[in-house]
Amino acid sequence: MKDPISNSSSQHSTPSNKLIRKLYVVTGKGGVGKTSLALSMALHLKNSGRKVFYNSFDHTPDHQLLKSLDIPYLDLDIVDSAKTYMGKKLKSQTIASWIMKTPFFHSLFNMIPGLGMMILLGQIIELLEDDPELTIVLDSPASGHALTMFESSHNFRDMFKTGLIVDDIDRMHRFIYGEGILKTVIACLPTQMALTEGTELLESLKELKIEDIQLVSNDNYHLTPGVSDSSEKDLPNFLIKKVELEKEVSAKLNLQDNLLLAHIPTIHKKEVIEALSPSMEGLL
Amino acid sequence: MSKRIEIFCGTGGVGKTTLATARALQLATCGKKILLITIDPAKRLKEVLSLPDDDSGQVHRVPAQQFKEFCGEREIHLDALLMSPKSTMERMGKEQGTLEDLDNPIIKILTRPNGGMNEIMATIEVQHYLKSGDYDLIILDTPPGKHFIDFLVSSKKINSFFDKTFIEIFKYVGKSIGKSEKTGLFQMVVSSGVKKLLSYLGKVTGADFVDTFIDAIIGLYKTKDSFLEALRFQENLKIKEFSNWFLVTSVEQQKMEEAQEMREGALQFMHSDSYLGVNKCLGPHLSDWNPSSREQQTLKDSMRDRENRLKEAAGKSFDKVLEFPVVLGASPNQHVIELARAFQDYDPPV
Repeated sequence: MKDPISNSSSQHSTPSNKLIRKLYVVTGKGGVGKTSLALSMALHLKNSGRKVFYNSFDHTPDHQLLKSLDIPYLDLDIVDSAKTYMGKKLKSQTIASWIMKTPFFHSLFNMIPGLGMMILLGQIIELLEDDPELTIVLDSPASGHALTMFESSHNFRDMFKTGLIVDDIDRMHRFIYGEGILKTVIACLPTQMALTEGTELLESLKELKIEDIQLVSNDNYHLTPGVSDSSEKDLPNFLIKKVELEKEVSAKLNLQDNLLLAHIPTIHKKEVIEALSPSMEGLL
Repeated sequence: MSKRIEIFCGTGGVGKTTLATARALQLATCGKKILLITIDPAKRLKEVLSLPDDDSGQVHRVPAQQFKEFCGEREIHLDALLMSPKSTMERMGKEQGTLEDLDNPIIKILTRPNGGMNEIMATIEVQHYLKSGDYDLIILDTPPGKHFIDFLVSSKKINSFFDKTFIEIFKYVGKSIGKSEKTGLFQMVVSSGVKKLLSYLGKVTGADFVDTFIDAIIGLYKTKDSFLEALRFQENLKIKEFSNWFLVTSVEQQKMEEAQEMREGALQFMHSDSYLGVNKCLGPHLSDWNPSSREQQTLKDSMRDRENRLKEAAGKSFDKVLEFPVVLGASPNQHVIELARAFQDYDPPV
């Protein structure tokens, strides 16, 4: 097997011919490998000489893994972000801290999770606006909760109608809907359920006018060495069945070959990510 | 006393919905009246049961015909519900006679299907059906990962939302919220900073919003008795005799740490008598496989290692581990039936 690290740095050091987006959002059904893909993308970008941050929206990241891959993590805290935001609007951090501490505000914040998500997204956008060199890879929640994230700015726009927050939301939208800024990656497995969920998500995102979306099929056993190069008679029954199903779903997905990713036969996450990272070129 | 609810939780994509459906089918076939509720906004349940795609929040009867292979000619009483925050809110409005008060743009936006209120509204809905007595048992399919904990924290959030600080707002705005609440200008001035708070809010959001917002709060406050019902659900979760809970993992994912983390989180709210479901076990498939190349050997070894590692870790942290076989069929129906058979063999007591 080729060494994945030297492989990625030698082959993919010229990102200039490709438009690198500012923000990559990786979503999809639970368990399709969003985190592995997001980390592989971040690793690939870093290896191509890009300044990149990884952020995960709704789970604590595996810091040890991030460290071993040397991927910088963007640590954002909802309450802190909200405080900073309010402070800027009211031109006083002291007042903002006081507001966030009141039980009233605190419990309101808890009741409306979309508000926190929007504030985090706002902060990510601000970072990207301030630093033209930066790319952020966002390991987003699974489908339903990802929609809450994407919808929240629209929902709050409807809610507030006018005022400073709406101005900011409009600014957020102008940025995120700008050309070459956001690319959404919907990861899916070659199973019927993941395919359906991925396709539904794609439709819902299009309704939100999010256009730049790429489906990718992860964890294909029929592309793994030992399976891909074996004839059916040399495979155990359960793998024949699995490969059959995979091919059936893949036919419906109708993706380019470079968007079908092989199952990586190892139990070590680091190895999976390193092995996948060169294939991420097709997703950028 | 028999248990009233079974909860299925776990990280995404491990098969919670399918296992929950299988368990519902198995118990329904034993003659129990079952309601299966999904609160995951992804709503895979509609695919598993071929339910119509709607946000009505209505209960659907699952035709026994669909699972004939498992239940034979027996009649089963199995209903399924896809959560809809909007219809839960409407039902509460009817109960408390506050439909008009809840007819508020902010409340409408927040109770959209992806408005983010799913977990909170779900506790209320579940408690409603527990109280109704229409079902012997409710099977609950929960959202993945930390959103399950969000669900468990919901009633606490509801409680603090209706905390006494809110009453001060009404004192400030001088709107009457009920017979007992005396409002007064004087009290408003001395009240603890709520006036200031709302004036700051107005600066950022515009004054119109503050008005609509206060109306929304009043609407919710008037409906609070229905909201606070959810607290009962929370209290009951601590009682072993009230519920079974199944934490689901899959050998296809290396997520034992996440499962343990979820268990720790859940233990703050629930009793500790839980099951771990290890789904998609390859077991015999792997031992029967004689690899024909070095690459196949590598693949087999890695598949065996990940399965063993998960099972080993599972045995260490859980007393009751149920292993479920991988199902190699395309149709969700087949998955449900085969897993229902596995449940039949284990037959966890209710």
